[in-house]
Order: sequence, then structure tokens, then C-alpha cells
Amino acid sequence: MKTAEKVDLYREFSKEYAATRDPALVKVGPATYLSISGKGAPGGDGFSEAIGALYGVAFTVKMTRKFAGKGDYTVSKLEGLWPDFTSGEVIPDKNQWNWQMMIRTPKFVTEKDLAQAVAVLLKRGKGTEVQRVRLESLKEGLCVQALHVGPYEKECTTIAAMKSFAEGEGLKVHGVHHEIYLSDPRRVAPAKLKTILRLPVEKAAE
Amino acid sequence: MRTVTLHDYKRRIGQVLAHIQEHLDGPLALDELAALACFSRYHFHRIFKGMVGESVKEYVRRLRLERAASQLKLGSASVVEIALDAGYESHEAFTRSFKACFGAAPSHFRSIRRRQFAAVSSGIHYRPGKTIRHFKTLHRGGNMDVKIQQLTPMRVAYLRHVGPYGEVGATWDRLLTILGKDGYLGGGTMLIGLCHDDPEVTPPSKIRYDACVTVGDDFAPSGGIQVQTVAGGEYAMTTHNGPYNDVGRTYAELLGQWIPRSGRELRDVPCFEVYLNDPQSTAPEDLLTDIYAPLQTQGSATRR
Repeated sequence: MKTAEKVDLYREFSKEYAATRDPALVKVGPATYLSISGKGAPGGDGFSEAIGALYGVAFTVKMTRKFAGKGDYTVSKLEGLWPDFTSGEVIPDKNQWNWQMMIRTPKFVTEKDLAQAVAVLLKRGKGTEVQRVRLESLKEGLCVQALHVGPYEKECTTIAAMKSFAEGEGLKVHGVHHEIYLSDPRRVAPAKLKTILRLPVEKAAE
Repeated sequence: MRTVTLHDYKRRIGQVLAHIQEHLDGPLALDELAALACFSRYHFHRIFKGMVGESVKEYVRRLRLERAASQLKLGSASVVEIALDAGYESHEAFTRSFKACFGAAPSHFRSIRRRQFAAVSSGIHYRPGKTIRHFKTLHRGGNMDVKIQQLTPMRVAYLRHVGPYGEVGATWDRLLTILGKDGYLGGGTMLIGLCHDDPEVTPPSKIRYDACVTVGDDFAPSGGIQVQTVAGGEYAMTTHNGPYNDVGRTYAELLGQWIPRSGRELRDVPCFEVYLNDPQSTAPEDLLTDIYAPLQTQGSATRR
């Protein structure tokens, strides 16, 4: 039976968000996200506008459902998917990076909710970026996860530790790397930024 | 025209301290005390608390108790008379407060030899007939991280909450739900709290607080939501890092410790706060709130 309690995905799936400085294995179930993709330097103009559009859609969807009495939920933390640059190849220029920024959203949110929110935001003149927001699912399964404390530029150290941990477990990394932002980079000092890093893994070939 | 100095602030607060000492039986209304020292009624109590280390209410209460203590020592009035004199309606309430302040019940205090007041940061104690020349100011916030910002006036949609500060959440919920479904919470929207009264001086049931969201000219007031303009101009801004219920400490430091050392005067409009993160998905200790204190244009400060 459904309870009136507010849905908080971060709390509900707290096991999937468990992370310490030491890499560990976690199992991540299928998840739905509102997401926006783009190309360019993190923190650049296009990037910030995309995040603004993503949050605009996320809050509009939530409030529309809430107003209609369809249940309340917490808008989750910002997450992102980034290409894996630690495999040895030359790291391309920041302006060439493909990224996907995401906010985890309850499964009951539908394409119709999204379309309605986008239409309302367009009508308000909140920018056309909202049209790029999609509803997507991820199935990450088994992952290596760790908490990175420090500037985003230093993530490679933590990622290297995660990879060697995976290797020790007879696993190898596949796919893009996933970041869950626990701190607000606008205000928190780079040395204190907390980010959960997640790398999907599979059995390494014999 | 010279700029205001810490000395000026101390002189003005010193006048208030002296006035309170001389009128301990008076009503000592905040507006009246603020006017006496030429401070805006919006900011006076915070300046006072930040400089003296006690709120006006705490200061008045302590001085009345200290006067009661010297009456016990030097006079022959009964404890009940002294209690009434100190503004207490019952003997029990007086005894409780007195004990908390002096570590002994009034009757016992009368019989012991020692007469000592507990240390306070301002160094000011009840001394009948003595003028107050100096008092010690707190200066923890003297080197807090403050930026001066020039703001343009902001048009905001708002709902007014009248009641305990801790219950503003329900008002925010209503405002954000209505504005959110209509698409007003797109990128760049600011969430602003405008507090017309201070939780430390106004009874909880009477605190007026406006939950505000910045909107464009296309927003028309409806469904109980009203529109007002948050004044532009120069502001001193600092960030409060931590739970909302602890924000008073940062206000007192900014207004009572940083401002008096800044050479600036506060303007007669309320302070406001900007909420930078979502309290639903952020731990209380990670919450960030920008606090804006309005400044008079430099050089325009009137000296009286």
C-alpha cells in the first residue's frame, strides 16, 4: 500500500550511494533520470545554462505533480556522466568533452510530465535549453564506488585507485564514469569538494 | 565628511547602555532605544547583540537582577518586594532566575558575605549613579569574509508568514508549489527570505517573514501571492554556513562586529537572506545562506 510519506530516492537507495575514500563494490539497480547532454568545458556558459534548464524542468515536474495531488518527492542531487580519460590515451581539450548531467527521478514520472513541464517553461520564456531535457534509464549493475574529496581535476588519483581495486577483484571497468555531486562547487572550497565516483565493472577476460 | 568609526558605534551603543541603567523600571521599547542611538529599527537589536554580546532583552534582565542583588545586600526590603521591583510576577520565577544568575537563592545570597557578579563580555554591570564610559565589544566577526555588492532592485513574488520562524517551511512549500507548476522556477530564480522581525526580540506568534521568489514583469499577483520589490543599492554580504536556526549568530557578527569596523552605516531597509541549496536534499550542516545587510551610500551618513 502506498503511504503518504515523501519519496527521497537518495535515502531510499542509500546503499547505492554508500561511499568512502576506500573503493568498494556496490550493486546499482535500474534508475530513471531527467538528463541533459552537451559538449564543452565544465563550468562554461553552455554547461551552466544546461544545468539551469535541468533544474528548472526537475522542479516544474515535481511541483506540477505535487499541486495535482500526485505525491511529493525530493529533487535528488545532481549527477553526471563523463568520458573515461584515465585509460592512457591523450586527454582531449576540455571544449571537446561530451557530458550528460542528470537528476535521479522517481519511476512514476512520465514523458507526459516532462513534455508538460517543458511547454510551461517555454511559455515563461525560460530559454530553449529545456527542450533538450530527456527522461532516461540507466542500468549500471555492479560498480566500483569511492568518495573523492578534493578538486575535480584531481579525480584521476581516486579513479586510478578504483581501477586497481577492480583489477584486484578480477574485474574491469566498462563504460563512462559517473559522478554524484555532494557539494556545491560555487561555494565549497575545491579542497573540500565531496564527489561520489562510480565506475561500472564487469568480469575481466581470463 | 568623515566616515563613521568603531568609536562612533561604541559611543552610540554606550548611550543606550546608560539609558537602560537609568530607566530600569521603564518600558525600554526597542524602537525608542534605536532612535536614541540613531540606529535603524531594522538593525538596532542585531548591532546591539553583536557588540555587547547579549540581546537588549538579556541585558535588561541581567541588570534588573544585579540591581536586585545589591538591594538584597544593602537594603531591608523583602525578597517579594525586590522580586516585583525586578519585574517578576512571582517569587518562584524570581528565585529561579536569580539562582541561575548568581548561583544562590535570594535569601541565602543576602546572608552570605560575597557579592560577585558573573563575568560578562561587555564588562558592564549595574552601578547606580555611574556613567558608562567604556564597554568591551566582541570582535569575533571583525575579520569575517564580507563582500560589498551593488544590487539592482529585485521584483519578487511572495507569501507572508506570521508565526514562529521555525515554521516558515509550510509557507515556502505553498509558494514553491504554486509558482513551480506555472514554470516560474526556471534557471536563475533566487529564493529570498525577508524577515521583518527578529526571532530573538519578537514573540514567535508575531514574527513577520516573507518567502520571496524572484520573478519577471510577466508575473501577475494571484491566489494570495503578492508582489514587492527588494530594494537595490549597496549591501554587505556574507555567507552563513550551517543550519537555518543558527543564522542569528551570523547576523549579529555581521551587523554588530563587522559593520562597526567597516566605516559604513546601515540603511533603513530590512536585511534579507538568499538560500543557495535545497534543504530537502542537503544536510543542515551543509546549508549555505547568503546574508545581505543594506548600506548607506558612502559619505551620505548623517552625523548627529
